[in-house]
Amino acid sequence: MSFRARLVLIFTVAIVAAVGVVDLLVLGSTRQAFERTEAQRAEALVAQFRKEFDRRRGELVRTVNAIAAADATRNIAIQPDYSPYFDYAAPQAATHDLQMLELVSPDGAIVSSAEWPARFGYKEDWLLSGENWAARGAFLRREELPDGMTLALTAVGTATVGDRKLYVVGGRELDRDFLSTIVMPGGMRVLLYRNLDGRFAPGELIGAAGPAGDAAQLRPLIDQVLNEKREHARILGSGSEAENFHAVPLPGLDGSVLGVLLIASSRRELAGLENSLLTTGLIVAAAGILLGIALSWWASARVIRPVRRLADSAGRVAAGDWNTTVEISSADEIGQLAGAFNRMTGELSAQRERLIQAERVAAWRELARRLAHELKNPLFPLQITVENMVRARESYPDQFDEVFREGTATLLAELAQLKQIIGRFSDFARMPAPEIQRVDLNALITETARLFTPQLEQARVRLATRLDPTAPAIPADPEQITRVLRNLMLNAVDAMPEGGTLTVSTTAQPGGVLLEISDTGQGLTPEECERLFTPYYTTKSHGTGLGLAIVQSVVSDHGGRISVQSEKGKGATFRIELVANRTQA
Amino acid sequence: MPLCLLLTLPAHAATRPQYGGTLRVETRLNAQTPDPPPLLGPAFQITRWEAGKLAVYEANEDAPGGRPFLNTVEIQLNRSLRDQANDLELGKADLVELGPNEVRRQAAGRRIWSSNPVRVLALVFSPRVDDPRVREALALAVDRAAIHRVLLQRQGEVSGALLPQWLSGYAFLFPAVMDLGRARQLSPGARPFTLAAADPASRPIAERIAVDARSAGLAISVTSQADTADVKLVELRIGTSDPARALAQLGAALGAAVPARIDTPEQAYAAERALLDGFRVIPLAHLPDVYGVSPRVQGGPGIEPAGEWHFETLWLESARP
Repeated sequence: MSFRARLVLIFTVAIVAAVGVVDLLVLGSTRQAFERTEAQRAEALVAQFRKEFDRRRGELVRTVNAIAAADATRNIAIQPDYSPYFDYAAPQAATHDLQMLELVSPDGAIVSSAEWPARFGYKEDWLLSGENWAARGAFLRREELPDGMTLALTAVGTATVGDRKLYVVGGRELDRDFLSTIVMPGGMRVLLYRNLDGRFAPGELIGAAGPAGDAAQLRPLIDQVLNEKREHARILGSGSEAENFHAVPLPGLDGSVLGVLLIASSRRELAGLENSLLTTGLIVAAAGILLGIALSWWASARVIRPVRRLADSAGRVAAGDWNTTVEISSADEIGQLAGAFNRMTGELSAQRERLIQAERVAAWRELARRLAHELKNPLFPLQITVENMVRARESYPDQFDEVFREGTATLLAELAQLKQIIGRFSDFARMPAPEIQRVDLNALITETARLFTPQLEQARVRLATRLDPTAPAIPADPEQITRVLRNLMLNAVDAMPEGGTLTVSTTAQPGGVLLEISDTGQGLTPEECERLFTPYYTTKSHGTGLGLAIVQSVVSDHGGRISVQSEKGKGATFRIELVANRTQA
Repeated sequence: MPLCLLLTLPAHAATRPQYGGTLRVETRLNAQTPDPPPLLGPAFQITRWEAGKLAVYEANEDAPGGRPFLNTVEIQLNRSLRDQANDLELGKADLVELGPNEVRRQAAGRRIWSSNPVRVLALVFSPRVDDPRVREALALAVDRAAIHRVLLQRQGEVSGALLPQWLSGYAFLFPAVMDLGRARQLSPGARPFTLAAADPASRPIAERIAVDARSAGLAISVTSQADTADVKLVELRIGTSDPARALAQLGAALGAAVPARIDTPEQAYAAERALLDGFRVIPLAHLPDVYGVSPRVQGGPGIEPAGEWHFETLWLESARP
């Protein structure tokens, strides 16, 4: 990953993290505010329900007291026989909109019952508990009806005439009709669980529209309220279906919890708000990311530009342009780095100049040493021959002619060698620039090999050629390449004084041709391989050490590469890679 | 001893009889027979018969005891007790049956004629209820006294016998007391069953029986489907003053066999005991026929102690010859 990409990534992550944190904070604070509002709404509704409940209680007490105070009721109270009045309660209950109404004699026997007319004569012993019913007001009570138990808001009135007394017990069922009269704000509903027999019964959880379908879900909350006899709140459901339930216990006459009022507040608004905030957050985050990427791209470009110039300059230095410098455009760390770079390249350039001069001096010294060495060898025979001729002229005049003749031949031979030595040095010095043309390397090898045939036969060297017909033509100077071939083939012949096999092969390669020239001669040591292409280095007693240097120079001028593989005693192989297209070099 | 109870006598009862007029009578009787039942004696002749709806009788000029005062007796059939009471109140009827509650509601001074207890109110089990313990439990659970005191408004008498005391003389030997403790001992394992009242007017009694049964641990629900009910609350009329014949009639109505020859009270008691063994039939009370009489009806009483109508001596105050 590039430095710029890393910078962009870091900037982007930082922006995303910042946006995410802000979004979470906003979401959290919004949720807290909503929760507070919801709690206040629930408390207000519970208070409203209590107020409504108290109003209903007062209304029921007034109704029951009115029935108890009616002349007809008081008339019944003084009757010695209540049996004619067993059907008195039903029309009274209908008139006063009561679902339950009973007249009960002082001994607790039912005189008349609206909700269960056939129960006349049965006892309502709870009325005889000594409770001050006038002060007690309305209360919750389990009522047994023909079709089962129910929960009712009950009030007890007393019709007293002289020493005669008649209880009037009136009630209204806490059922869906009761709940439907409670006005609820939007998004809220009220449920009632009627604890009729102490065991949880899903059917007793009712709402204004009938049995509630989520009894199982609410059971833990209801059980908790029943057990602890105090209010609890809990969030049930998930997502937009979640509701905040506020459960209020409804105690009965003896303090036991006969019902649980559940006020549910939908969290749909919160879910919607959260979704809205989430969507907004995502949009803002996406915009932030895009903006962050753009800004970080721009900022990184500003940061990266001088660094890239430095990198380009370093690349040019690596490519050999020692005079490369970087423009210093700022005084910051990047500017300081550019200054250091410029100082470094300046120092390197100066050192290189010094090195070149030192190498040049060393090269002249080496040249002088080689020239001295090469010239000294033929000069010594020349000196001996001349001294012999002088000595023969003076001491052996009769043999002078013969000595002169031999001396003259020797002098000419040594002079020819001197001339040859000088010619080689001249050739190395005068290495011309290659005249490039398309050359069929296979044909060039065949032609050169044909010229060498007599010499190879004389040296008992067998020539083997493996030329790849698919090898492409290469851009080369044929004369210089022929010179390379000739040099390498002569070296190979020299390396096989006892004869052997000279193998010349070509192989087509992607983008060029591989030329290999192998011998089965004495081979080279690794040290010899390392120094083989150094000018004036030779392993032969009569060589100038310029042949392979010339070969390397030609190959290099043609954009190719040369290498040698050899082991002592196992021959040597020279590998030359030539390109088919000079632009590849 | 048969006795006709005259509850109230109007002040003008001693006015002189007059011929003519139509006596309008209403009854719960729902006779669907092609031929009219013998509702009236030979003093009247049937002139019109609409089964289950209307029977019209004309005075028989050749009656053995002489022509009755009334020209016509028009009998509306299949009328509910409430409708009858309303019609009496509105002057649309001259003689109507009164249920216990209607009796209580009659205006002061209204004449009411009553017979001896001639109907027996009883629970009759269907063969499906084959556990005698359950049947006995219900017999012991029913609070007959409460039903008699409140729902029947003390009309008639509580009884555990089929024949009323005035007819047999031994009805008191059949227990009619409530024993919830014993009933609860017998009720465990009883399956729920249904109770139907043959007459809608008897439904409050059926409801009360269901309440009592519930107290004894029996689950009984009251239904209007009499054909499929496990128990029926029925009202059987005793149409004769002869105990043997009455027992035979009741046996026939209940589908039970009664000895062909009953000559002594002991034999009648044994036969009735045999009918009631096994608690297939549980007598609850004996009820009289009670009638409300319009002020324009004079003479009478028009009801025999055994419940038969006897209109030969009645006349209408506003009638003209």
